[in-house]
Amino acid sequence: MQFTEEQIFNLAPDESSKKSGKDLANPSKWVSKGANEQALWGECQGSGSKPYQTQIDLQNIAFKCSCPSRKFPCKHGLGLLLYNARQPNDFSTSRMPAWVEDWISKRVEKKEKQVEKEDKPVDEAARAKRTQARELKVTDGIEELQLWLKDIVRNGILTMPDKGSLWFENMAKRMVDAQAPGLAGMVRSLGEINFYAEGWQSKFMDQLAVIYLSTKAFQNTASLDETLQQDIRSWIGFTQNQEELKEQTGVTDTWLVLAKQISEVDNISTERYWLYGTASKQYALVLQFIVRGQGGQLTFTPGIFVQAELVFFPSVSPLRAIVKRQIASTMKASFSGYQNWDEVLATETTLNSQLPVRGDRPYLISKLRPVQYNQQWWLQDAEQKMMLLKNEQRYIWKLLAISGGEALDMALIGREDQYEAVGVWLHDEYKLLQ
Amino acid sequence: MEAWNKIIHTAMMGTDKKMIGVEELVPTLAGAVAVITENTTIDKEEKFLQLASLTYNYRQCAVLPLKKETINIDKAPAEEKQYCSPAAMQVLKDILFEESQSLLQLWLTACAKANRLVSPEMIPSLFAIGKQYKQLRAAIAPCTGKRGEWLCQFNHEWNFSVSQSQEELWNTGTTDQRKAVITELRSVDPAAARVLLEQTWAQEDAATKVSFLEILSINVSNDDILFLESLQNEKSKKVKEEALKLLKQIPGSALVQQYIAVLQKAVTIKTEKALLGMMSKTSLSFQVPADIDPEIFKSGIEKLSSNSKEFSDDEFIIYQLIQFVPPTFWEQQLGKSPQQIIELFEKDATGKKMITALVLATLQFKQHQWAVFMMQYCSTFYIDLIPMLPAQQQEYYSNRSFADHADAIIRYAVEFKREWSIEMTKKILTHAANNPYHYTRSFFSQHIERIPSAIERELGLIIPAEEYQRNSWNKTKEYLVKLINLKNQITTTFTA
Repeated sequence: MQFTEEQIFNLAPDESSKKSGKDLANPSKWVSKGANEQALWGECQGSGSKPYQTQIDLQNIAFKCSCPSRKFPCKHGLGLLLYNARQPNDFSTSRMPAWVEDWISKRVEKKEKQVEKEDKPVDEAARAKRTQARELKVTDGIEELQLWLKDIVRNGILTMPDKGSLWFENMAKRMVDAQAPGLAGMVRSLGEINFYAEGWQSKFMDQLAVIYLSTKAFQNTASLDETLQQDIRSWIGFTQNQEELKEQTGVTDTWLVLAKQISEVDNISTERYWLYGTASKQYALVLQFIVRGQGGQLTFTPGIFVQAELVFFPSVSPLRAIVKRQIASTMKASFSGYQNWDEVLATETTLNSQLPVRGDRPYLISKLRPVQYNQQWWLQDAEQKMMLLKNEQRYIWKLLAISGGEALDMALIGREDQYEAVGVWLHDEYKLLQ
Repeated sequence: MEAWNKIIHTAMMGTDKKMIGVEELVPTLAGAVAVITENTTIDKEEKFLQLASLTYNYRQCAVLPLKKETINIDKAPAEEKQYCSPAAMQVLKDILFEESQSLLQLWLTACAKANRLVSPEMIPSLFAIGKQYKQLRAAIAPCTGKRGEWLCQFNHEWNFSVSQSQEELWNTGTTDQRKAVITELRSVDPAAARVLLEQTWAQEDAATKVSFLEILSINVSNDDILFLESLQNEKSKKVKEEALKLLKQIPGSALVQQYIAVLQKAVTIKTEKALLGMMSKTSLSFQVPADIDPEIFKSGIEKLSSNSKEFSDDEFIIYQLIQFVPPTFWEQQLGKSPQQIIELFEKDATGKKMITALVLATLQFKQHQWAVFMMQYCSTFYIDLIPMLPAQQQEYYSNRSFADHADAIIRYAVEFKREWSIEMTKKILTHAANNPYHYTRSFFSQHIERIPSAIERELGLIIPAEEYQRNSWNKTKEYLVKLINLKNQITTTFTA
């Protein structure tokens, strides 16, 4: 498949890789090159005596290069892909050389093995014992956290800005000790609220309610629906065994990668891929955690369509998923989404009533246009109902320039009363806004 | 949401001081609220946390979109021009990636010439660049079309792209926009520019007046004398000085005529007998007349040469006056050709010292023909005259003196309004290759407009003298090739 330059740049790990990759998208840099439906390969003359062997699996986007770079993909991989995107005619369809064939066949074998792989026998008794011990620790931790919450509301939140981040961090650490990393993250985000910004009180109380609801739900977990129990356990920080998850049958569809969001904490970057299933009409969030200097397994780039089987984490409102099987990447454009804000908000209400603790979610909405009201930017639907845009300073000018005042089909990520636009459809083509 | 505000209000105070009342909460939730408030097994803090959680969830579920029928957005008018080809857009993206303003200027000019527009999604990036680099603004506006004009109504920092009439800009624009109006008008109709300025002169502040006067030096002429002389009554010293500076550039001004009158008496030809009276020898005489008008010393001419050991006081007065008198005056005064005049000055000990004043006068009165004479007949090379020469001579003298004045010549060469010749480019690149820390990538990125594409074939022959500089030059060379390729692509994509 053919990538656009924008999509290729979205794969780059940093700005300097983009620049170096661009420099390498030049015929004079490649000693040899070739392509077929499965792979793209080339030998790039670097500073060493031997040229670097760069290869790209086009079916399930993956890169391999003999260069010593720790970046992933490296500049050679990006350069080769860019070169191919710009001058595809330079790449004659040919048989893969041995070093490419070797890698591609190993990848196919590995995939097959993964499917066939059987789990080692698990010591169920030991596992149950470990789980019980952890649940006990979590229960104790939750009691401590609830006392802390009560202290806060008893004394009032007026003094919270003076507490300093260490005060919150200490409680977060207590939750880590109690083996409740989910709660630790929630407590940490209390301390990360911008106390200088107007309206911090509401954000603080939102988060306080979320923490309280999570702890209380865990205490009452036995009386709740089994799937909801899974949601609650994931809030607290119990992880789901992904290998077990992969054994389940997933949803096979052609997924449009709507957006990629990256955040970094303590040298671990979290990539959030927002997907939309074109046939199933399901939305999905696939997370990838990458330790700095290491490459990730997933190389989705926003704007492409990926044929894949996704398995959703058990939830009353399934969103987070893992990729069980990636079949191919294709280019296909289609749009089918909500008709107006009323439909979106009805869905939000249903989801909130099922799951009061939840994060942002993507929505495809048809015919929205940006309008200005009270010096803020809103998105107005065909019925002249509007919703506030979030983080609009990052993309509003591009959105306006593309729209020219016309209504566009859009992809948004958000919840409650604020949504961030991530892409639009223009002449049946999905265009990223950021 | 009112109930949520009450929750926050209570939370701010703390439940120790105030507990939220049932009546402050959402009536629809009365049943659930009663279950919480009537629970005797939990304390008031826990009750508050439960009420807050309940209201939080209710608030999330009860969001409604804002309906405002009167809120609208006007649609952008349809474009009259066609959009650029995808290939041309790709070249633009590559240029923006390289951050080369010089290439961007070339691309925008080619785009406007081809009567094409950039695709709408690129407009914000170009406006952001235009905001930062004023010199690109005029080139950006024609390429962004009606969509650009429509877009900038939402961002006042982009107003530069709105096509307003010159009159509108003059009456309502920023100081920079008004300066641009005067600059343009002054170039095509100098009198009209001055009249426009006179109309609003009284309302301008001193700093603006000074900046407008600086522009009046374009095509300054006898027609401006009355206006400039009237400015000697201005309150601001800076305005008066700027007006005086301009009057010194006009041969017909009373001031210059006053200087001419002094010089007519001060510099004369004297003929002496030589070789026992068989031959006559012509030389110059420099003598400040005893009846010199003391008024001239109020116009900036210094009486004493205290700061210069090179001149006597009289010589220094004459030196200053020569600077402000057009060189053509000497043709009449001495009755000789420019070549003879320069030779006369050169062979006289005092005259030789006055040559630089003649150079300054050539620049002051923009006497291009005299610049050519000075270059041709002076024994010294006056580099400052290069911009005054015709294109061919600029190249000739730059090449001839390059070895001795490389950096200075490059400084002038980058201001040329055309591509350099291959010979000159080779000289500049060879110098750059030997001075890699002075002529970095940014130098080439800024001036790629002047570098001819044909130089690419010669690049292999340019090698720095020092071994250690070769690696650095190779990298710069690679970058230069990239810029040249982009420059070539601009031409091919817009002519294809």
